[in-house]
Amino acid sequence: MTKAIRQTTLQTLGLGSVIDIFRNGKLPADAGDLVDRVFGAADERGSLVISGANGIVGAGKMMQLTSRLEPFGVRSISLSRPRTADGLGPQYPGLVEAVGKDRADRIMGNIIRMTYDGKTLPADLAHWRPRFLLESIPELLEVKKAHYRLFREAFPEIEIRSVTSGFPSSELGVGVAHPAFPHAINKVWEIVEEQTSPVTQLLWALGLIPVPVSDDWSFVLDVLFCGITLAGLRYHRATNMPFWKIDKFVRKSVGPNPFRAHDVIGAGGADFLSWSCLHHLSKKYGALFTPTPELEERKETGQNWYPLNHFRPLVDWPVDDEAEFNGFILGALFQMASLILHEQRAPLSHINAIGELCAQFRRGILAMIRSVGAEAAVKTVEAYHRLHPEAAGSCWYPEAFDQIGSPEWQQLYVNAEHDGKVGVITISRETYNGDVDAELNRAVDWLKAEGIGRVIVSGDFHLATQMVGADTSEFYPALDDAEAGHRLAAAWTATARRLHDEFRVSVGFVGGKRCLGGSLELLMHCHYLVAVDDALFGMPEVTLPVLPGMDGCHWPFRKTEPSQWPRLVRLLLTGEPVKAKEAVDWLVDYSGSMQDALATAWSLASGGATGVTKRKLNDGILKDVAAEAGIPVSDNPATEAARKAIMDSIRQSCGVPLPEALDLQARRCADFFTTSFCKHGTIGTEHQRTMVV
Amino acid sequence: MFPNARIPYGTWGSSYFPAWQTSALAEVNIGQFAGEAMNRILGLRRVPKSELDYLIIGSTIPWHWKFWNAPLVASCLGRRLPGFHVEQACATGLKAVLLAGAEVQSGANDVVGVLAFDRTSDSPVGVFPERRAHERTMAISHVWDNFGFDPATGLAMLTTAGKAARKYGLERREVEDIAFCRYEQYFAAKESGFLDRVLVPLDVLNVQGRLLGRIDKDAGVRRLTLDGLRHMRELDTCVTTGTQTHASDGMATLLVTTPERARELSPRPEIDIQFVAKAEVRTHPALMPEAPTLAVQKLLDQTGLTMDDMAVVKSHNPFAINDAIFSKVTGHDWTKVNRTGCSLVWGHPQGPTLTRMLIEGLEEAVDLGGGLVLLLGCAAGDVGIAAIFRVTEGGAA
Repeated sequence: MTKAIRQTTLQTLGLGSVIDIFRNGKLPADAGDLVDRVFGAADERGSLVISGANGIVGAGKMMQLTSRLEPFGVRSISLSRPRTADGLGPQYPGLVEAVGKDRADRIMGNIIRMTYDGKTLPADLAHWRPRFLLESIPELLEVKKAHYRLFREAFPEIEIRSVTSGFPSSELGVGVAHPAFPHAINKVWEIVEEQTSPVTQLLWALGLIPVPVSDDWSFVLDVLFCGITLAGLRYHRATNMPFWKIDKFVRKSVGPNPFRAHDVIGAGGADFLSWSCLHHLSKKYGALFTPTPELEERKETGQNWYPLNHFRPLVDWPVDDEAEFNGFILGALFQMASLILHEQRAPLSHINAIGELCAQFRRGILAMIRSVGAEAAVKTVEAYHRLHPEAAGSCWYPEAFDQIGSPEWQQLYVNAEHDGKVGVITISRETYNGDVDAELNRAVDWLKAEGIGRVIVSGDFHLATQMVGADTSEFYPALDDAEAGHRLAAAWTATARRLHDEFRVSVGFVGGKRCLGGSLELLMHCHYLVAVDDALFGMPEVTLPVLPGMDGCHWPFRKTEPSQWPRLVRLLLTGEPVKAKEAVDWLVDYSGSMQDALATAWSLASGGATGVTKRKLNDGILKDVAAEAGIPVSDNPATEAARKAIMDSIRQSCGVPLPEALDLQARRCADFFTTSFCKHGTIGTEHQRTMVV
Repeated sequence: MFPNARIPYGTWGSSYFPAWQTSALAEVNIGQFAGEAMNRILGLRRVPKSELDYLIIGSTIPWHWKFWNAPLVASCLGRRLPGFHVEQACATGLKAVLLAGAEVQSGANDVVGVLAFDRTSDSPVGVFPERRAHERTMAISHVWDNFGFDPATGLAMLTTAGKAARKYGLERREVEDIAFCRYEQYFAAKESGFLDRVLVPLDVLNVQGRLLGRIDKDAGVRRLTLDGLRHMRELDTCVTTGTQTHASDGMATLLVTTPERARELSPRPEIDIQFVAKAEVRTHPALMPEAPTLAVQKLLDQTGLTMDDMAVVKSHNPFAINDAIFSKVTGHDWTKVNRTGCSLVWGHPQGPTLTRMLIEGLEEAVDLGGGLVLLLGCAAGDVGIAAIFRVTEGGAA
């Protein structure tokens, strides 16, 4: 019997638990099987139809889905009204860049373009046996319903999903698959359906991220995204602060720049969509969501929020009253979050992830609320009500924060399961930050309390499709404060060492595309590292530049024969990744196909036979680590400075016993944060752009 | 004059007026700057720009895209308002306020923004085809060539000062005393914090969005000594660099609205600011410094008021000679004029000059518990303009 801290995110898709994936040695759904179920068997394969395919959503999704379905022989039909501008052709250059010309040509060649008058479907359409319609036409309810009637009359068996960003399924009469911007590359889809369908499971099997949400107006993403836009608009009305500057402060405070996002998406369409969402939300929930006159105006005009290039802003604006800013922005957001929680629009991990994955939130909305605490969150909303009293009368549910101490609230990013013998820790955030670190510690504590001594540490097979290292925004305080940097590096390293020290067997598993930087440092602390063949492993710190701070400068050396040290030095000094299958024996313990890797990880964790030999950790002093790696000198002084610092860190941390190395390397890492190379590098520049406004 | 028009107290503000070529304002599109600065000032005064119905702008020096005038400046402010542009050299900043009063009085608009601005730095050069001139084509630097030549008289501005000084038999020593007093008044007002209620520091950004410069002082103003004034070279009768103003850049803004809206918009609704009367004159050729005094005389005749009725007198004085003539003609003690500073000291950006002076005058009247504010100034073309405003507190007449 499996026990878990909280429900796994995969279970919300009807795909079972993560421990089952390892136990069964295979993924819970197969794309080929699901293509057969959705589009019919190969000899009678039907087609995908995207109506409104020349629009920004339709065109993006046409690229995303066609690139994945074309290998299965599924044709894609683009259905548009005459005189709409071509939205597919402009996708081609990006497609070439992503997949190469030959593949791009095959994808574009798989698309059949048809036009229709909105009343009668093209006669040729039936020839292509439409099996799945993704409706992407304008947000006009009656027009959408008529569109569905048209298709159902012609193709009674067809599966229909709407990309609507606002209308509930109950209003539309079809399921919802609401995708997130940028549509060609963002993998997240909010899904509304009574039961998980093969269509949704197919999206998952194709490597996308379907996220089930409840059937409520605007779902989760657009409550948050349109909501933060509206919060910015209300602050604008109160203070006159220009939109571009509000964007900068919102980005600093929360992460997104909502007005810029509207312009980038295309103000004409995005303004209408935001207005439409807020308009309908206000009808249902009241003044909290009432669009401001500025949005009403732009809904009509499609005017950009930012000034034209020749009128780049001249007069700067500070926030004159921080409490007022927080009240308007965070207060509104927290109140909207209370509604989402009250209506149970999605599991908490999903609500939290949607803001990060789709709306540029630096930390998910629930992680933000959790960090300030329920009481402070309620006070922030109350402050908002003093600034905007109309909002006080609608949909405010302070009790929604009462359960902030529950596992669902406390484990937004990290979950743990076990079967009484083997535990699985899953991380559903692609970058490592303080929240993940704290949750990982709690997960380890929970497994230990449950008496579990064997563990697999993995991504969650759902929300996180790769592990790309530290969330570099966590380093901002360290740029001017070496002690802050030291505290961070030492604490995260201590967490990583728990995976080694506190379990009898620990297995790091990489089933996604890549495992980089801090994520690799974390997983390399496991007794075994298992990966799929093509997973990329790398230490890109030198390119930023920063120094590895989670034992990366000595731990892998302690587990590897001296003859392999030049490879590790090369990995650290060039930042160039290697494939898992090329790193076996010196960084990775096993690589194979997904099924083989899953089975091996399970065998290692559960004590079965694998043939994989455990690499011993040398906790003494390593000598002569500075092996010649044959790396050409870089013409970038920052890179050379980082290389020198990394080499120094390698020599010093390998030159002491293991217990002393933690503090020493954390100190070297912290010292480098404060150098001009780091301050003028990627992280310092990002810090300047984001936090110095 | 406009019984239904009011200036809501405390909804106004001005930039500092840095001397020409001394600040970041020398490098910007001043129309855009003015629009954005007005928005900032309204924000600081807690007036949502959504309250505005109409915008009257006043500027005298062409700026990039001036063709589009008030509607464009309104867009820079962040509202697509209708509006109008007015201009008559240094009379502009007061005339714009008076026209706003007329807009409100007529019932055409409820809340009218007044925004005056100019950039004398790097003023544009106009190229004019003149087939009848021997040069065939004339290139005119908008500020300096016009200062140096009034086409109606053939004389320079500075010449009008000397000519007026001679007409009134002014003594250089007294003119210097006035100039010295004006500097002392300015620095006293500055040190008292009075100017902080009028002037708003503004950070100007470059195209990369980084700080180009902070406009937080009347750059170029230096403390003069009486002895220093005495030893300056005389450029014309009673005119030295110390007794005349300098070119500068800046903007100033205020609102005009109905009595009801004024009470809603003002942080101190008990303060009532009314329009009383205005006058404009054009004096004889090349006697510009006497024109404001003549306008005041006309104003007093119109209203039956006397100088003793005036609580505050603010005189735009590009030459200290202006104030000397005013006191000589009206008998009003020149030490009681411009008690919080004046354009002789902080410069001469033309369009916003009288708007800033009006704001200073109204603040001074509030400090005094109310009273009549007389504003006067000269303008190119030997023009004088004057107006009286009434400030009352707590509804007292």
